Amino acid sequence: MKKFFLISTVILLLIMSVVSIGKTVTIRYWMWDPSIRAKEETLIKAFEKTHPNIKVELTTMEPKNYWPKLSAMSAAKSLPDVFNMSSGYVEGWASAGLLYKLNDFVSQLDLSKYFPKLFSVTTYNGNIYAFPFAWVTTVLYYNKDMFDEAGLAYPTDDWTWFDFLNAAIRLTKDKNGDGKIDQWGYWFYGRYAHIEPWIYQDGGRLLNENKTRFAPDANAMETLKFLTDLVLKYKVAPSKKSMTGVRQQDVFPLGMAAMWTDGSWNIENNRRIIKGKFRWGIAKVPRGPHWTHDITYAWPDSISISAFTKHPKEAWELVKFLTGPAVPVNLFMAGKVPSYKPTAYSEEWLQKDKQPGNMDLILKLGNNPVRTSFTKGWSEWRGYGGAEGMGLNGAIDKVINGEESLDKAMEESTIYVNKVLERYYK
Amino acid sequence: MIYDHIMRTRRYVPYLFLLPAIIGLFGFRLIPIVWAFLMSFTRWSVYAPPQWLGLANYKELFSSELFWGILKNTFVYTAIYVPGVMIIGLILAVLVNNRLRGIAFFRGLLFAPVVTSAVAIGMVWGWILSPRFGILNHVLEHWFSVSNPPAWLGDRNIALIAIAFVAVWQRVGYQMVLFLAGLQDIPTVFYEAAKIDGANRWQRFWKITLPLLSPTTFFVLIISIIDSFRNFTIIYTMTRGGPGSSSTTLAYAIYQNAFIFSRMGYASSLAYILLIIVGTITLINFYFKKKWVKYKY
Repeated sequence: MKKFFLISTVILLLIMSVVSIGKTVTIRYWMWDPSIRAKEETLIKAFEKTHPNIKVELTTMEPKNYWPKLSAMSAAKSLPDVFNMSSGYVEGWASAGLLYKLNDFVSQLDLSKYFPKLFSVTTYNGNIYAFPFAWVTTVLYYNKDMFDEAGLAYPTDDWTWFDFLNAAIRLTKDKNGDGKIDQWGYWFYGRYAHIEPWIYQDGGRLLNENKTRFAPDANAMETLKFLTDLVLKYKVAPSKKSMTGVRQQDVFPLGMAAMWTDGSWNIENNRRIIKGKFRWGIAKVPRGPHWTHDITYAWPDSISISAFTKHPKEAWELVKFLTGPAVPVNLFMAGKVPSYKPTAYSEEWLQKDKQPGNMDLILKLGNNPVRTSFTKGWSEWRGYGGAEGMGLNGAIDKVINGEESLDKAMEESTIYVNKVLERYYK
Repeated sequence: MIYDHIMRTRRYVPYLFLLPAIIGLFGFRLIPIVWAFLMSFTRWSVYAPPQWLGLANYKELFSSELFWGILKNTFVYTAIYVPGVMIIGLILAVLVNNRLRGIAFFRGLLFAPVVTSAVAIGMVWGWILSPRFGILNHVLEHWFSVSNPPAWLGDRNIALIAIAFVAVWQRVGYQMVLFLAGLQDIPTVFYEAAKIDGANRWQRFWKITLPLLSPTTFFVLIISIIDSFRNFTIIYTMTRGGPGSSSTTLAYAIYQNAFIFSRMGYASSLAYILLIIVGTITLINFYFKKKWVKYKY
């Protein structure tokens, strides 16, 4: 009897395990940040607990290896089921038929819990091809100590170019009297995150409406004139040339400039370098003369599902989980906003006890209309990463280095950028 | 029977041992080389299948001002780098060829940059050359009272030259070691005979060292030229090809197009141009070799 019981239990267990093995689906998930692998693993364990029929195989890789690998896999149609997706790549990958349409899944969600404006960046031809898990935007960083010393009021939400310029002039100082400026009012060069937010806040566009041609409008040109004049005419910002050798993101935290516009993700680097040396804050990018309403330059990091996956439903379960309430705040680098609103609005994310102290400003920006200039071939015409000196970036640098007039640089840029865009949009 | 069998299979055994190397050679060299040639006639973003373009990539390349600028940069860089590493490398080799106490230390010191990470070298030199905060301009301004020292890596007329100098500084130790090996191969009897005949130091160098070193010099010339056309890391860490494209060389442009712009086809056509240039120069070198390289004493 005892023996019979034992044998039957063993058989039962065997049957159960065979049945459950038969039902288990393995989802391969690739992400681009190895530094948070351990945290991600914990998260995946929690997912597997609540979804016992799904097993997740995690691969993490540095972005510089991630994209070449993933591209090669896409050529062989053997993409991981679920993978991280960059805003700049959504259009290219979606148009190549590599991404799974998420419309049906997304329509089942309560979108008021997310930042719906950001979905416009991951939408191509009316379909959603990537689901944001975090997003970033651009802000005006300012050094509170320098403002106090100059007797200036801090930037406000309705700050205009005039207010900004006035402050920048008074913040530009030669402190040791050697005839050289050692505290600049502002710091910028041709980088996308330094230029576009100003254009959008002046109601301007760099591209035509359907983003197939480079056609800076009058407002965009007005903005570029204003910005380049900060170096050439008002001399409240240094030339790109003279700052060579300093990492661009270190100029503000090292106290060389009182104000700076760049991505919100720089909060982390600022904290690390500034420590307690001075007090600083973040503000909206000032309004241009043609401002009618706030337009935010923001874009998400997202998760996509492979068009070749055999298990789209299970893959979506994972995507939903990785973008939802279960994701802890410590998985987000400071200044990156969780796309799940309740997490973003939590005290834990806002970190009011840490500088800049007013991170709620970023959340407000996420509810504005969103504009970007991402297209196919963006890194080439904009001048990005290992090609930073090229394209529009290089053209603006030429102007602020005093090597070419703005009009000439923009004339050349228009020809160059449109040549690039023509290759992709005929 | 068994003996015959072994004898028959034995003939294949060496190939079995060679197999890993052959697979490596084919899989990682020959096939990519042929593949790249085919890809140079296509538009290939990697994530979408390649589209046949015919000669369009080459047409675009030759009609692009950017390409000619990059080609010029490549030659300017080579024109500084190759004579730089060869002349300085030879001088250093002659200097450290002395039997002095502690000479091994100096040899090691001069070789150190070769084994140092190029990324670290690029960063440190980036700081040294920084116009406002770098030590070089500090010295120029305060010790030599130069009033407006250049922006070095920020100046589009100087950046490439500055990079070439750093590259010479980094690589010269390697050329030095090669020359040193060549120098130590020259039998001392020639020098002794020349001394007895009354030849001075300069004459001995000119008439004995240089001709007898020529096989080494030839080898160093070939690898220095190839080295200069392949330089990538220093450009990446110091200027990213900027300002504008003023320090972009062919090798760097290949990287940009392949891995930043996802233009594998165009990058392949650039790679083939590079191959043709390096190949031609190497052939020319081999052709003129017999005029100046002496293998027999």
